[in-house]
Amino acid sequence: MATATYPPPPPYYRLYKDYLQDPKSAPEPPPPIEGTYVCFGGTYTTDDTLPSLEEQGVRQLYSKGPDVDYKKELRSLNGDLQLHVLELADILIERPSQYARRVEEISLVFKNLHHLLNSLRPHQARATLIHILELQIQRRKQAVEDIKRRREEARRLLNEALTTLDGN
Amino acid sequence: MDIISQLQEQVNLIAHLAFNTIGTLQRDAPPNRLSPNYPEPPAHPTEDAANFAEQPKIMSAALVKAAKQFDALVAALPISEGGEEAQLKRITELQAENDMIGQELQKQLEAAERELNQVQELYRQASDNCLNLKKPE
Repeated sequence: MATATYPPPPPYYRLYKDYLQDPKSAPEPPPPIEGTYVCFGGTYTTDDTLPSLEEQGVRQLYSKGPDVDYKKELRSLNGDLQLHVLELADILIERPSQYARRVEEISLVFKNLHHLLNSLRPHQARATLIHILELQIQRRKQAVEDIKRRREEARRLLNEALTTLDGN
Repeated sequence: MDIISQLQEQVNLIAHLAFNTIGTLQRDAPPNRLSPNYPEPPAHPTEDAANFAEQPKIMSAALVKAAKQFDALVAALPISEGGEEAQLKRITELQAENDMIGQELQKQLEAAERELNQVQELYRQASDNCLNLKKPE
């Protein structure tokens, strides 16, 4: 990698010469980027969803569909994994030169497992949000009760003071 | 650590154990006789014989234990059936309730603030009267 001196700072600072006197004479900041953008030679996207397995070229072992039963699929993938490890051990005994296929299958099961776990994260995020909202509602209710109680107390004290003063 | 991260750690652990098991066995296994034509391979009477018979047992027991722990973690997943729509519906309900309670809290706060100002005004007048020794009307 060739080394070079740092590039000079961009010359836009001249446009902000009168910013203190007139904030509108300087250009507005650029709007937020949408879609894909290129940064230091790499493309990035602003849409942060988990790419599905087919997009990564990996075969999907668990059943597709709108509602996947995560627990069942995770358990069956775990069982598959153990079977594949046994198969690998067996094939190393009988035909050791054919290990590659078995190792590929094991790594496929692992990729599926990790993808399934990653797809649980949005669900977890929504559940966390629900929990936070419930906590906030509880705190607000508590605060309303506290304020009511204190107002009643203050009103009672004032009435007491009034009767005491009137008695004199 | 939250349960999904624990599950991910467990998957990585299972991978680690599986490849360690296979790799260790493959590296340390004593040579086997291929065909009756060739003579018996020279046996290595070094430390292999005694503890080598135990290693597959220990390692496979660890692997199965890790797999069972994974199953236990999966069983502990707090996933409620209903999926995304049910969660989003619940979130909108909670937001509406939150807004209502927020408004009520705001009203109570304003009323309490008003009462505080009234009491402060009363105190001010009473202390003024005391200081100027005026008779109360």
